Amino acid sequence: MIHHTALIRFKLAAYARSHRLLQPVIGLFVMMVIFYSTLVPPGKELPSYADSAGLLIIVFAWAARGLLDTEPPAQRLISATSAGSPRREVAAGLLAALAVNLGLAAIAVVLPLLHGFAVTPPAGDVARGAGLHLLGLSAGTALGALTSRPILSSPAASMLTLFGGYLALLLASLTPAGAFTVPVMPWMRAANAGTLDEILLPVTAATLFWSATGAAVYARLRRTRP
Amino acid sequence: MRLSSVSFRYSRRGPWVLRDVGLVLEAGSVVEVTGRNGAGKSTLLRLLAGIVRPCRGSVTARPPIVGYAPEVFPVDQPFTVAAYLAHMARARRVSPASGTALAERLGASHLLDRPLGDLSKGSAQKVGLIQSLLAPPGLLILDEPFAGLDEQTRAELPEIIGEVASGGGTVVVSDHQNQLRSFPGAEHWLVADASVTVLDGERVRRAVIEVIVGVEEADEVEQKLRADGYLTRRTA
Repeated sequence: MIHHTALIRFKLAAYARSHRLLQPVIGLFVMMVIFYSTLVPPGKELPSYADSAGLLIIVFAWAARGLLDTEPPAQRLISATSAGSPRREVAAGLLAALAVNLGLAAIAVVLPLLHGFAVTPPAGDVARGAGLHLLGLSAGTALGALTSRPILSSPAASMLTLFGGYLALLLASLTPAGAFTVPVMPWMRAANAGTLDEILLPVTAATLFWSATGAAVYARLRRTRP
Repeated sequence: MRLSSVSFRYSRRGPWVLRDVGLVLEAGSVVEVTGRNGAGKSTLLRLLAGIVRPCRGSVTARPPIVGYAPEVFPVDQPFTVAAYLAHMARARRVSPASGTALAERLGASHLLDRPLGDLSKGSAQKVGLIQSLLAPPGLLILDEPFAGLDEQTRAELPEIIGEVASGGGTVVVSDHQNQLRSFPGAEHWLVADASVTVLDGERVRRAVIEVIVGVEEADEVEQKLRADGYLTRRTA
């Protein structure tokens, strides 16, 4: 893993210098303004975090897709040979996307503590909120990777799949089988009802399972889509 | 290095780009790959470089360090030449100084501070070539390296290829301008109809035909013929 960091840094440097980073950052701040323009009353911090984690999935997906699309196709071929194998190039891309999304998620968790929550919530709730954001960013990163250019070369198809995929994710989690999908709606409801701790383990397992599956499908497809 | 019954297609229902290809590459050999546009030369090079894996068959004993220069170097990246080469050197875990030394050799030192996006086609090809040589490659794959290169680099390139080969490296060059025709000991592979024919090291038998065209069409006809993999020569 250590020796992949050069390629991760290369991808992050290219992304940071392109205009693409601005798009999810603006998206994030628009969401933050909507969530926290009125102060969240005491005791409602965890539901607020749960909504933020679920809704920001689309921002995380957008950022991951933007990062993976920054590198021109021929450069991916060069990067794959420089790193010694295409698997390492694919892994470096996913890890760089996770790094960007960790940064965005950190903003989403810290910002309301500075301004947004009427009172500072207990550390346990901040930790639960951070955990839900980790779930959101893993699902978002997988969705973004699956809609990136090597997989869906048409920008229109990619955008449609990104937004359509997110919508489908939300709708599927509303159905009775919701607990077996990425359970966004169940975690929002449970946080509202104060019963999050009861479902936290299955929610985490299901989300990580689907995120890992998405990442694996992406890596598999990349074998013939360099 | 050996390719055994290698078949490849880009999607499950797509046509086979290469089918049941078996090839052996000896260490220290130089191979020139020719074939029409779209015959599968680039795909063959990507399979050799390990960028894509065969759908069927196997590639074995590939040297660990592979240098690869694509047909068109991607200039659409927000780096100067020096910064780009430094990143690629770190990815290969070699000193960034190797990039500077290669740039000097290829007469590209003056390009180091330039943004990639400002490079001419020939200069961009040079950067592509330099990054492929940052770590001494056991396998060097060059996709149409001669296109757009200036005279100095055009003359330097066979020398560099010779050095890699004499150090035990294998060099595979796709080249429809047939620039390596006078390279001693070079093998020739022809890619056509999803298969690769080894032209057995011996000179390909050639015939010369004269094509007489109007002066204003000459460039266009020549380009078309070259794009189809033919060697052309202007007579006065």
